[in-house]
Amino acid sequence: MPVILEQSEVQSAIRLEGPIDICCAAELKTLLLQALGSGKKVRVSLEDAVDLDVTAFQLLWAAERGARESGVDFAIAGQVPEQVSQAIVNGGFASLPMAGDAICDEMVHK
Amino acid sequence: MTTATNADLFKQRFREEAREIAVDLESALLELNENPDDQELIGRVFRALHTIKGSGAMFGFDELAAFTHKLETAFQDVREGKLQLNTELIDLTLAALDQIRLMVEEEQGPSAEGARICADILSKVRRLTGMPETSPASSNSPQQQVPPDDLKGQARKWSIRFAPGPDLLLSGTNPMRILRELRELGDLSVKADMAAVPRLGAMDPECCYVFWQMVLSTTAELDAIRDVFVFVEDRCELAIEPSSRPAEPAMECAADVTAKALEDKRTGSGRRTHDKPDTASSLRVPTAKLDQFVNLVGELVTVQARLSELAARRGDDEIAEVSEEIERLTSSLRDNSMNIRMMPIRGTFEKFRRLVHDLARDLGKNVELTIEGADTELDKTVIDQLSDPLMHLIRNSMDHGIESPDLRTASHKNSSATIHLSARHSGGSVLIGVSDDGGGIDAEAVRNRAVEKGLVAANVQLTEAETFALIFQPGFSTAKQITDVSGRGVGMDVVRQNVESLHGSIDVASKPGSGTSVTLRLPLTLAIIDGLLVKVGSAHFVVPLANTLECIELTREDIEKANGKHIANVHGEIVPYIVLRDHFNVHIERPEIEQIMLVETEEGRYGFVVDEVLGDCQAVIKSLGRFYRHVQVVSGATILGNGTVALILDPQRVVQDALRAGTTKASARST
Repeated sequence: MPVILEQSEVQSAIRLEGPIDICCAAELKTLLLQALGSGKKVRVSLEDAVDLDVTAFQLLWAAERGARESGVDFAIAGQVPEQVSQAIVNGGFASLPMAGDAICDEMVHK
Repeated sequence: MTTATNADLFKQRFREEAREIAVDLESALLELNENPDDQELIGRVFRALHTIKGSGAMFGFDELAAFTHKLETAFQDVREGKLQLNTELIDLTLAALDQIRLMVEEEQGPSAEGARICADILSKVRRLTGMPETSPASSNSPQQQVPPDDLKGQARKWSIRFAPGPDLLLSGTNPMRILRELRELGDLSVKADMAAVPRLGAMDPECCYVFWQMVLSTTAELDAIRDVFVFVEDRCELAIEPSSRPAEPAMECAADVTAKALEDKRTGSGRRTHDKPDTASSLRVPTAKLDQFVNLVGELVTVQARLSELAARRGDDEIAEVSEEIERLTSSLRDNSMNIRMMPIRGTFEKFRRLVHDLARDLGKNVELTIEGADTELDKTVIDQLSDPLMHLIRNSMDHGIESPDLRTASHKNSSATIHLSARHSGGSVLIGVSDDGGGIDAEAVRNRAVEKGLVAANVQLTEAETFALIFQPGFSTAKQITDVSGRGVGMDVVRQNVESLHGSIDVASKPGSGTSVTLRLPLTLAIIDGLLVKVGSAHFVVPLANTLECIELTREDIEKANGKHIANVHGEIVPYIVLRDHFNVHIERPEIEQIMLVETEEGRYGFVVDEVLGDCQAVIKSLGRFYRHVQVVSGATILGNGTVALILDPQRVVQDALRAGTTKASARST
């Protein structure tokens, strides 16, 4: 599965693998809602993602906004691959959480 | 649904779209051949190539995209007046189109032979256009997103607002690729506006909510910028305006965009609040699903007939009421399902432009194809089976019917010949015509050849129609030599077989020196028809309602008044009739009062005398199978509500059969 949710006592970790596009958008939404609903901090790892499309950017943006409004700690964990960074620049998604400098270095538990 | 399945679905959708675009591209190229200065046609070709390239790249058809890109560039030059369009470029693009079609269908990429042909075509295009070996914008690779240096010096700035429709992503379109392509034109500043993205819980994850505001600095013209959006333009809002601002203002005005989006949302005037009808009102459905649906409706019609029969037999008013209601709904469902299967014949007709173009070139003849009635609709199954017969008729006409330009000129005819394809409805049938203004059929030569081949005895007298019918016999040909195009005597046999399998008929008319006209008469549908159920002895027959005019009584007295002749006076008009009991050898005593069903046929009005008219019915057409395929007067069978089988009559064929049996119409009137 390209989208994996791992729950621990302290956090909900979502790992994205391979191309994240419209084919897994519904699944990503479900897992993001589950993670935010857990009340724990949420970490999303893009380290193994190959590319993100518009649906993925929209979902992450909406999740980050939802987390902010409800006081949930939400961050991108680990390094953002070059191809994803390129997609952020190409698509003008500079305002997204993973686009800024403050990328959380905390690794997602694998 | 798995990722692989979705990807396959998107690819399948691309293939379907590409096939349609290819038909349009071919048609535009062939029209362009005749009107090389037509800017609209040039634009059509360019946009078709651009769409195939763009969509191909999106769905992973990289070789296809790269190949098409070179041709697109050539037509861009034509459009901008940098390159003169000529026949060679059109022919090369047609040859390229053949390869594009193959590449669209190939799962594993182009074959070695295909790659060689593509390389050869591109080499010729380069020679013709002066295009360098590698085009500056030949791929979507990131390295080529940097504009060429010579573009930067004289760049203009454009402000672009791109708002994809909400369902754009569902078609497999990736807006990011569009942005990437736009970046190839120059320096691009992009700002994604997320203002319309709803809360996570309320989001449709497959819907596009993002807007983009961009500033593009480029030497490219407005048309070139607009062309980047050509295959999404009907599914997005797009505004491209000259901008005097530096590149950064895109970011500065993002607040305005956001405000506008929010305002749109508040007032309900934004793009999310209305769907464009052309995209929302159509749906692609696999033919197999449609066939299954129609089969099920057919079964429902049969069961409904049983219910009606049961209700009538029991005399229960309540059941009768329900039965009538179900009958009404079934009838409506049947009409709707049949309507879904109806398609205009345009696509089939248009594809023959290419055949005529290529054959004319190969045979050294000047031929123009004209089309009439392309919007005539008929059942998809019929359309699917029409391609081969039409192809053989056109090939035959091109090879044997149409004379060489020299011969035409010598005969005081226009050196350019015409093949005319036509379609029109006639009752429950559709008439497809293929006519030419060639030399016509030499009836004497046909007859001599038939005698020579032992198809007819030398002493048999044949009418003109019977003589012309010989050309559809297997192996029949008057051609002195076999060519690549025709002459083996196979094509016309294929025409006959296909038309017969569609329960259709063929008429040929020809005048020496003036041309030949072949008319295929085909049923509108092969699935379910409205009919009148009649009884002759213990046998049931269905007469298609589309052919039926009215029913009148035929008494012994009427018969005596006509002195035994098979004619009836219908509202002052003398109408000949055919006694079906005699025609079908039903040996049961005739009732005191019979019924004449008046039918309209190509031969005129005729009456069918039956014992009893039982009423209207919906007949689900079942094939009679191979054993009965030569029984021309019956187009199929149907199962009645009580389980008995009724034969569906083909009124046209019944009349023709009766005329043949009596040789002339006059004798059919009096037997």
